[in-house]
Amino acid sequence: MFDSQQLKCLRALLDVIIPEDDFPGAWEAGVGDYLRRQLAGDLAKLLPAYQTWLANLDDEARAVYGADFAGINPQQQAALLSRIEQGAVEAVWQIEPAPFFREIVEHCAEGYYSDPGNGGNRDGVAWRMIGFEVSG
Amino acid sequence: MKVAVSTRHSDYDAIVIGSGAGGGVAAAVLAEAGKSVLLLERGRDLSFEAVGRDHLRNQRMAVYGHNAGPDIDGNPRTLEADSFPIPVGEALGDLRLLRPHEPGYQNNAACVGSGTRVYAGQAWRFMPQDFRMASEYGVPEGSSLADWPIGYEDLLPYYEKVEWEIGICGDHRTMTHLPTYDKPYPMPALPLPHKSGIHKRGLEQLGWQWLRVPRLINSMPYNDRPGCINCQQCVGFACPADAKNGSHNTTVPRALRSGNCTLRAEVMAERLACSAGGRVIGVTIIDAAGQRQTLTADVVVLSCGAVETARLLLNSATLQEPSGIGNGGNQVGRNLQGHYYPGAAGLFPDVMFDGVGPGCSIATCQFNHGNDGIIGGGFLGDEDIVTPVTMWKRFYPPDAPRWGIEAKRFMRDNYRRINDVTGPVQEIPSPQARVSVNPKVKDKYGIPVVHLSGATHPETVRTAQFMHERAKEWLRASGAIKVWGRPPPRYLSGGQHQAGSCRMGEDPAISVVDPFCRVHSHDNLFIADGSPHVTNGGFNPVETIMALAWRTTENIVAKW
Ligand SMILES: Cc1cc2nc3c(=O)[nH]c(=O)nc-3n(C[C@H](O)[C@H](O)[C@H](O)COP(=O)(O)OP(=O)(O)OC[C@H]3O[C@@H](n4cnc5c(N)ncnc54)[C@H](O)[C@@H]3O)c2cc1C
Repeated sequence: MFDSQQLKCLRALLDVIIPEDDFPGAWEAGVGDYLRRQLAGDLAKLLPAYQTWLANLDDEARAVYGADFAGINPQQQAALLSRIEQGAVEAVWQIEPAPFFREIVEHCAEGYYSDPGNGGNRDGVAWRMIGFEVSG
Repeated sequence: MKVAVSTRHSDYDAIVIGSGAGGGVAAAVLAEAGKSVLLLERGRDLSFEAVGRDHLRNQRMAVYGHNAGPDIDGNPRTLEADSFPIPVGEALGDLRLLRPHEPGYQNNAACVGSGTRVYAGQAWRFMPQDFRMASEYGVPEGSSLADWPIGYEDLLPYYEKVEWEIGICGDHRTMTHLPTYDKPYPMPALPLPHKSGIHKRGLEQLGWQWLRVPRLINSMPYNDRPGCINCQQCVGFACPADAKNGSHNTTVPRALRSGNCTLRAEVMAERLACSAGGRVIGVTIIDAAGQRQTLTADVVVLSCGAVETARLLLNSATLQEPSGIGNGGNQVGRNLQGHYYPGAAGLFPDVMFDGVGPGCSIATCQFNHGNDGIIGGGFLGDEDIVTPVTMWKRFYPPDAPRWGIEAKRFMRDNYRRINDVTGPVQEIPSPQARVSVNPKVKDKYGIPVVHLSGATHPETVRTAQFMHERAKEWLRASGAIKVWGRPPPRYLSGGQHQAGSCRMGEDPAISVVDPFCRVHSHDNLFIADGSPHVTNGGFNPVETIMALAWRTTENIVAKW
């Protein structure tokens, strides 16, 4: 589904969208698993777009900071995504950078905040964090 | 009127098509009266586990699918592109091709119990004024607004039956918008969640009426089933305690217990079967194995929900009725309506969430009628517990951060502090809001699918804007430090509260069924679901659907 470079980039990206603090970040909470499951299922049509967007994100990081996305520091990663969100990019993108970023953010939140049965929110950790109690 | 019993032997006395709110009642009343009944349901008989707890695929949050049917493959519908404000589904020429969980499809559910398997069970009587909207307000241009041929008093005995026999909890003393109840609810209201107490004080401060929301939920053991355990995943899901009262655990089991009813799930009614003279003699079905069969009965009751009942009539054309059964007046499928659901969300300084479900406990009927310059209105209520991902998708402030540590902190700090209030608007019907069939597109059985067109009358949108403002006022009075939300645009409405597609009336030229819900041109064909509703009240419709079905079916039995 993703090659090792794309996977490295995806992991870094998800952890900027939902970073670790005293509760786990997106990757540790299973959002990567959620996404891989979705991209093999309901979101299969989006897999090529994901692959392209991630490759372009690396291009962008290289153009601005001279290293791939996983290789720059968290402040630089966040600053880069803020500019991408505004549509301000340096590299040549094969896909509209801003709208697809919003989609990825949405998918990431779905994985993090929906039920653990979907592959993310491991052991209900996101629900514990926000105080959504489940009984019955 | 007398139900003529055919001289030749039929397979059943009655066939009821659809096992949802109306069909469950019809099957129970007929079977308990000693009639042999076949109850057909196209969906599955779903266990609690089969309904599941998927927060992205349920009847409340259907992002990638849903949990109470119909199956998302093989059951398409088409939609006129301008019936919906954004492109939905896939393009099909000028039309949109929709799957059942997609916006615009107008789905309720398809399983034994239909929507009642997973609903919130809000149980509202309509108000007396709701049955005479044209007399109260006049008919706005372009609308088909009309009075019902029956009134509140006609339904009252059946409202009481639903309350006592299917099981509704509530506090009748707070229902001050209605004529005084002679009979209280059989069960007290559910416990008041912390946030509902705060919203109640907000209403008191505004001087607006408040009431305890009646629900088709056991607040204590009742009818041999336990009381509510106040879980957090009620609406959109099945009840883990079996305390939520739907057709699947009340009327359908009653019908079966009588020994006179056969339930066949996963069977699709393809068309009504008619004699050479055009009289209904039964129904042609297709079962899960694809086998087609014609079953006969003296009486047929359509309970497929407002969209599919219209479709079945239109797909059953005969020589005598070439545009569809009951469609001589070109009325079948028109006046489709549901409920606009305006509301607003607010951020509160203190934690509102205490985990006590289901949640929606306090409402106001201050604005159902008597609003200056507005036709009708609706109630506003607080909300059932919102799952985290639903909060993120529906009630998250539009200006709050969406990613990064600030977004994570925002959810963490405020999930328990965000609350919304919302409620259904009495829609002003339009004859252009319409169910027809699309002969070019077939479902998995090869049956022409539903085609949807038109939109609600602009007056509905105006009422919704008015109610949206009231929602914001209420939230502020309850102490919200910030409120947000947008009033809805104009579109075709139906969905979970679908109604109106086979309207009830005296005059066959402008209605489909008579005041006892008998299809005008037929002596043995009845409708028991939301289709006959002339208007749909400013209230969730299910108690009225059940009460009307009860009245219709009792009348069938009385005249048999
Ligand atoms: C999540 C959710 C929450 C809700 N909450 C509330 C609430 O709080 N209060 C309220 O008042 N209402 C609520 N509703 C709506 C309520 O469920 C409906 O108003 C009610 O079920 C409609 O009753 P009906 O008899 O018109 O049709 P339905 O109950 O929809 O029954 C129709 C049945 O017919 C079957 N059928 C259709 N065509 C065929 C065919 N050709 N052959 C065989 N079978 C067929 C369908 O599969 C379906 O099971 C909710 C619904 C949902 C989904």
